[in-house]
Amino acid sequence: MWILRNSLPVLFLLAGACHAQQLRALQEYFRPDPFGGIVESDRRPGAEWLKQIDLRAARGSYASFHLVVNSKASADYKLSVRFPLPVDVYREWFHFNTPDSKYYPDALIPASLPYEFQIPDAGNKIAGQTAQAFWVDLWIPANTEPKTYRGEAIVSSVSGNQTLPIALSVIPAVVPQDDAVTLDNNSYGTSWLVNQYPKTLAHFDESAASSSGEGQLIHLIHAYHRIFYENRGTFHQLGYGHAGKVDPEFAPELAGAGSQMHVASWDLFDRHYGPLLDGSAFRNTRRGAKPIPFMYLPVNPEWPASFLWWGEPGYEAEFVNVLSEMERHFREKHWTGTKFEVFFNHKKRYKGFPWDGDEIRFARDNNYFRVYHRMLEKAIPLNSPVHFAMRADTSWTAAQQFRELEGVISFWVVGEGELLWHPDAIPRLKQHGDIVWTYGGTPAVQKVSTEITLNPLRSWINRVDGFVRWQTVDPGPDPWFHLNGGDLTLVYSGERFNIPGPVPSIRLKLQRNCLQDLALLNALCTRDSRKRLEEEVVRRFNHTQVADWSNANAKLPAKPILDWNNADFVDALKPYEARFANLDPDAWLRVREFILYRAGGAK
Amino acid sequence: MKAVMVFLAVALPLCARDKVQLEHDLDQIAKVATVMVDGDVCQRILTPRALQHILRKDPRDQWADGDNYDVDDQAFITTKKTLMRLAQLANYPVDVNLWMPLDGAPGRIHVVIRNRYEMSQFWKWGDLTQPTPPIMQKVLEFGQRVGVEQKSGYVSVLAPVRNSLNNIVGLVEVVSEIRPNARENVK
Repeated sequence: MWILRNSLPVLFLLAGACHAQQLRALQEYFRPDPFGGIVESDRRPGAEWLKQIDLRAARGSYASFHLVVNSKASADYKLSVRFPLPVDVYREWFHFNTPDSKYYPDALIPASLPYEFQIPDAGNKIAGQTAQAFWVDLWIPANTEPKTYRGEAIVSSVSGNQTLPIALSVIPAVVPQDDAVTLDNNSYGTSWLVNQYPKTLAHFDESAASSSGEGQLIHLIHAYHRIFYENRGTFHQLGYGHAGKVDPEFAPELAGAGSQMHVASWDLFDRHYGPLLDGSAFRNTRRGAKPIPFMYLPVNPEWPASFLWWGEPGYEAEFVNVLSEMERHFREKHWTGTKFEVFFNHKKRYKGFPWDGDEIRFARDNNYFRVYHRMLEKAIPLNSPVHFAMRADTSWTAAQQFRELEGVISFWVVGEGELLWHPDAIPRLKQHGDIVWTYGGTPAVQKVSTEITLNPLRSWINRVDGFVRWQTVDPGPDPWFHLNGGDLTLVYSGERFNIPGPVPSIRLKLQRNCLQDLALLNALCTRDSRKRLEEEVVRRFNHTQVADWSNANAKLPAKPILDWNNADFVDALKPYEARFANLDPDAWLRVREFILYRAGGAK
Repeated sequence: MKAVMVFLAVALPLCARDKVQLEHDLDQIAKVATVMVDGDVCQRILTPRALQHILRKDPRDQWADGDNYDVDDQAFITTKKTLMRLAQLANYPVDVNLWMPLDGAPGRIHVVIRNRYEMSQFWKWGDLTQPTPPIMQKVLEFGQRVGVEQKSGYVSVLAPVRNSLNNIVGLVEVVSEIRPNARENVK
């Protein structure tokens, strides 16, 4: 008894030492904070800390979760994961978010296992940090045998090991390769790469049209295409400015003028686009080598034809010469898997040209589209296997443009709010074979995690083909310690971690997982009633009915569009957007449960 | 080594331009611009409706002035073509931008036409109008050409634009870079 009584303090000390760290997990939509809690926007009923992971997923997809190591004492740790399927582990960076002065995990830094780390993390510099989080992706190849796979995560330190069991039940269904909704990530030019990659592009002379370091620039551009492709997205990079300046790698080099204008060199253009258009840039990715499905051409009012000749025969001669050469070159290279877009991004407010190419507000500007369409038809043979499309991004006058530019525009990118006022337009446009996308922004980190799934789901429910996030590569001047919401980015420069390319974000991964679920859901429509599936999905998502996702009966301002302003737009959209306010962080998990159930993975 | 040195000696002038020569060339273009740019046509570029929206800020919508920015196509195109021709007087990248004061907004100026290399020492990207820089005010008041080197690596010459009443109604900024940047300003 004496021995026992005197040993008790020692036993407690030992017990305390054994539990110096705690290993727990969270479902993917509940983001951890650096103090052992869950970020406030995801902190709702259902946000449970897990002592073991038990997931279900289809083949050809990822299953993901957060691993969190808690420790009140400053110490060194080592993380490893034993699992029979491929595992990707990323350390979650906690960003101090300036708009609300709170910490959010978002950037994901690839971690090689076993991974050594400290709490608190000296690099992240958070006073009072007691938790380090990791994002875990379990990759299930399409040919995986359907069964339950088991493994464990282990965190070790001088005080001992902690394990967390992982079980993954793989169902027979396979997530289709093709997405039900194209999720497009947009960007402009290349100067942002120079700013974000001073080390990687140290030998790149951006002032020169052709220089010794341009290989690194092209390599980086391909890396951005790859990261979005691997996460079930597409990447658009506009290669010209509002007054027509074209970045050298986005256009072939031209020579001559008027009827003599021709392509002098394809060299830089082919080095940039060749691997993207034949798919070889995506070799060694899990989704396999495929050409990019869409690409902006450098065509603008100042390229290839000089605006000096606008309205004169020389303008048409220059335009037709070069576009004809492009068609021939692409045909000879067998670049037939990509839609080449003639897209005008300029606005007259930027003083380059006298008409708006983007978001036309003044109806007379539509005439310019007609002129370009006529010239494009002249340049491209009718039966060409190369796919060119006139694209228009529209908002104010969308309904009017649908009517006036029928047969001219075949690729529409429409403000989501505006398109939903005219739901009858969607089937009408698609009946012509037009592509219809909507566009909008990216949810900031302080929004509830599920918000990233809203636009993809809304696109699927409203039967549009895609959704564009208009800017996805601009993390701001100091994303690591003063993030400005992150609503202009879904990726970050890896240079801080000696990675010469982009690293993903939690929001990008959540979006990817949503897109793979949507692809599976879409496949179910071949055997189930789509209407019934839609009703159940929206009921689970936010307790609505499909009718609530339409905005056909919205009360619009009773004045001419030219007298509307943005405030009128916002007011008109408010009642509709209110239906999607206050999403639950587990809204998508409920949807996924249903999709997997219908796909044959009943639990 | 000898071959490399010879190559550099030939190649460098193609990239970085001699500043004195640049100033001289731009001044010559600016001189011609004052003669060639038609101030009456320039005055017809901005539509009255656009001006109204610029002058009357909408408290509910910070973008209303830009969304309602509009120009007379013909006046814009005619003037832009003249500016483009002027730029071709040099055999290297030069932009000739048109700037005009705003009727009804003393002390403010706006760039009315920009050109293909998107160069300027004065335009802050995206600004519809801006306070008139003192050096521009001087040109508008006294009608003399002036050289400007306020932004590193850039050289501009400002020259007045007159209408048929011999009033100075605007100015051109003839601008180039000592070392032009092939990727700058594509946003």
